[in-house]
Amino acid sequence: MKDTPLANCERDFLLKAIEEKKRLDGRQTYDYRKIKITFGTDYGCCFVDLGKTRVMAQVSCEIVTPKENRPNEGIMFFNIELSPMASPAFEQGRQSELSVNLNRQLERCLRNSKCIDTESLCVVSGEKVWQIRVDIHMLNHDGNLMDAASIAAITALYHFKRPDVGIQGEEVTVYPPEERDPIPLSIYHMPISVSFSFFQQGTYLLVDPCEREERVMDGLLMIAMNKHREICSIQSSGGIMLLKEQVMRCSKIASVKVSEITELITKALENDKKARKAGGRFGFAESMPQERITALKKDETPVEMTDVTETAYDIVQKAEAPPQTVPSPVLPVPGMGQVGLGLQNSWGLEDDEEEEEEDDDSVEEQEEKVTKMEVEQHRKEQSSGDVVEISDSEEEEVIILQPEIPNRGPKNAGSSSDQKGAAKSKKRQTK
Amino acid sequence: MAAGFKTAEPLEYHRSFLKENCRPDGRDLSEFRATTLNIGSISTADGSALVKVGNTTVICGIKAELANPTVEAPGKGYIVPNVDLPPLCSSRFRPGPPGEQAQAASQFIADVIESSELIHTEDLCIERGKLCWVLYCDIMCLDYDGNLLDACVIALLGALKNTQLPEVTINTETSGPEVNLEKRHGLQIHKHPVGASFCVFDDSILIVDPTAEEECLSTAQLTVVTDEEGRLCSVHKPGGTSLSAEKLQEFICRATARQKEIQKLIDKVIHSVKTAQ
Amino acid sequence: MMEVCGSSNVSLREFGCEQSLLSRPDGSASFIQGDTSVLAGVYGPAEVKVSKEIYDRATLEVLVQPKVGLPSVRERSQEQCVRETCEASLLSSLHPRSSLTLILQVLHDDGSLLSCFLNAACMALMDAGLPMSCLFCGVTCAIHADGQIITDPTAAQEKESRALMTFAIDSTEHKVLMSSTKGSFSVHELQQCIAVSQKASEKIFQFYRDSVRRRYSKTL
Repeated sequence: MKDTPLANCERDFLLKAIEEKKRLDGRQTYDYRKIKITFGTDYGCCFVDLGKTRVMAQVSCEIVTPKENRPNEGIMFFNIELSPMASPAFEQGRQSELSVNLNRQLERCLRNSKCIDTESLCVVSGEKVWQIRVDIHMLNHDGNLMDAASIAAITALYHFKRPDVGIQGEEVTVYPPEERDPIPLSIYHMPISVSFSFFQQGTYLLVDPCEREERVMDGLLMIAMNKHREICSIQSSGGIMLLKEQVMRCSKIASVKVSEITELITKALENDKKARKAGGRFGFAESMPQERITALKKDETPVEMTDVTETAYDIVQKAEAPPQTVPSPVLPVPGMGQVGLGLQNSWGLEDDEEEEEEDDDSVEEQEEKVTKMEVEQHRKEQSSGDVVEISDSEEEEVIILQPEIPNRGPKNAGSSSDQKGAAKSKKRQTK
Repeated sequence: MAAGFKTAEPLEYHRSFLKENCRPDGRDLSEFRATTLNIGSISTADGSALVKVGNTTVICGIKAELANPTVEAPGKGYIVPNVDLPPLCSSRFRPGPPGEQAQAASQFIADVIESSELIHTEDLCIERGKLCWVLYCDIMCLDYDGNLLDACVIALLGALKNTQLPEVTINTETSGPEVNLEKRHGLQIHKHPVGASFCVFDDSILIVDPTAEEECLSTAQLTVVTDEEGRLCSVHKPGGTSLSAEKLQEFICRATARQKEIQKLIDKVIHSVKTAQ
Repeated sequence: MMEVCGSSNVSLREFGCEQSLLSRPDGSASFIQGDTSVLAGVYGPAEVKVSKEIYDRATLEVLVQPKVGLPSVRERSQEQCVRETCEASLLSSLHPRSSLTLILQVLHDDGSLLSCFLNAACMALMDAGLPMSCLFCGVTCAIHADGQIITDPTAAQEKESRALMTFAIDSTEHKVLMSSTKGSFSVHELQQCIAVSQKASEKIFQFYRDSVRRRYSKTL
């Protein structure tokens, strides 16, 4: 599905508003939208709402063999999924330019900044290391996906706990969380990305652009920084030239924003820890806003079982019992068998044998080619008297089923005439 | 005339037959097409079977390989089913990665294997934690004319019953496996699950063993898998029009009758192969 | 063989729903059953790709997004179940030559996932305001090793059970729209589970009614 294009008048309106230092949602130039961080029931599951942009991150781990050139280091893997839920323009399973860009930027921000101690993820040098996988799902796209993704990813990494492992000789045991407490990752610092968008060839600057603003912007500057004011990555895209002063000013703004966000993340993590320790309710179910008119919740509800057994019994009883006798299959050659056309057929028409012959041959012929090898192996007369074989040619064997088979029960006699009837009707179809 | 009517108004064409309680191919509403089973069709596979249900043709080959058991289940082997719908079987399938129907069929077969417990995966283990059998069950459709799932289940069961695994011993010196191809033994098949597929026409008329055409025009499809004890292994109805519990019961009765019919067929064919040898 | 015995402790876990919580999709809903939660988003009716166009009705596409990794064969079969259930209840002939896309994102899996998918899908379709002939809901039943029926099982209960069945029930006649089962069970057990699911579905439909009433309480 294509995205709805932006109308020219809408574009002009947006740019005019920016020139007048006004934003659509009433924010000031340097304002961030409201950030809300919630956690799921699992360790390492985190939701971030940045205004209406919504992102989910989930961290998982497994034991893998390390890379050859780094035998003592664990592996970090990032995957940003641009789910079609976030925007109709996103397609599933296709690597778009945007998703490649976001993935690379996130890797630069979190992997290349060496914020995670990958050596602590080593279990057996050169053989077994932990691979930490971060899956980021975009749920709603309202601009500035990168910042939301970076907050979600780093918070989820802080929240995550991997199972403990024990090494005895060569055997590695992974302890379930019930036996040994899981271990959090060791993280050195918290890089957070802050995005700036530029308009009118860099004349105007906005922090945290929303989706509409992103559509009319000329260039984007992303700075990843930690609270110690160390820049982890800086990237400018969109092809605009920035002055040194502009970059300096942006980095100053970023340092303020980063310290604010870091504080928020720490607080959110602490709150969650407290809630888990107190044994209270936590997770996604609890984060659902109760007061909203669109939301409703119902407590555990019992289901009556009073007459369930009776109803079930009635239905089973009322149904017709399946017939006890079944037709016998026909075996033309060893290794092959056929069961007739259905059970009861009301088309019990008498039929002359020639038609049946022809019909059966055509069916059998196809089989014959496949099973020729088989057939030739057991060319010798089969012991059962069901079948008469006549060799017409070298290439093909023709098998005629005798219509009346003496050792069949009364039920089966009916089924053999069924075959004739059906064969006849099939014949009619082809006419 | 009839051909033109069929092309222009396929639904009306079928309705006019169903009104008379029969179907365009001359079958009764509750009648299966002729089912032909051939066992041991592929000599290079460890086990194989070819099944024809009317025009629908499905071939199943089983390849057994030695592998290491997983860490989670050190005492078990595993079975990997795969259903392939190549473009040769019908014009509706395109070349390339498996489509939704093929994937759904693969999942269904995997579910049937797991639910029916027709093979205990413990039987496939050779040495705990070290060596086990993996059975790759490749099911390929050669001609698609509806009722794929039934044909696949019969083909799978026939092929598994035909499978002969070589004896494997572990050499104590090299601790490597030694395969004795001369000595082969069959697999233990504990259950005989057989499927029966149904279609619902115009929300009310029920027909069994639908052809591809009938499948396209139907409003709902249902597959019931039962074993020889009359227990249900799967009641698979992916969607479509709703059915009451009473109607479902009808289907189940028909499916149990079908199970007996097919099990008899498989047993007889297997027996005929054995006696002929 | 042990048979199911009627017991009184059959219940649905606490469940809840929030509608139109996302700004981009035309309809969205999150559905929570105990700890299991699913987020659903609907786009459409919208422009359709020529290759997928159906001349007399809308093309419905269902995408299931797992929490970790990429969708696999299991997700494909779940997609098929949800799609065909939705197709049966949607009046898609009112929007010919257009596309409907339903995306289901797993937020947390703690058992009864397929039924949660169905419930979230129905709420999202309602939120999108698409015409439907009936509503539907999903109920999962597990048969415990000792023969007891458990409705809306948790992941731990699913693991212990010997059979697991998920049914979609429609709101008009309480008949079975969809059925997906795992494990082997007797005919009697199946019929009991259907009967229980039909009972449980009444509770869920009552919840649907309540939440819609609450939602439009200010406008009506």
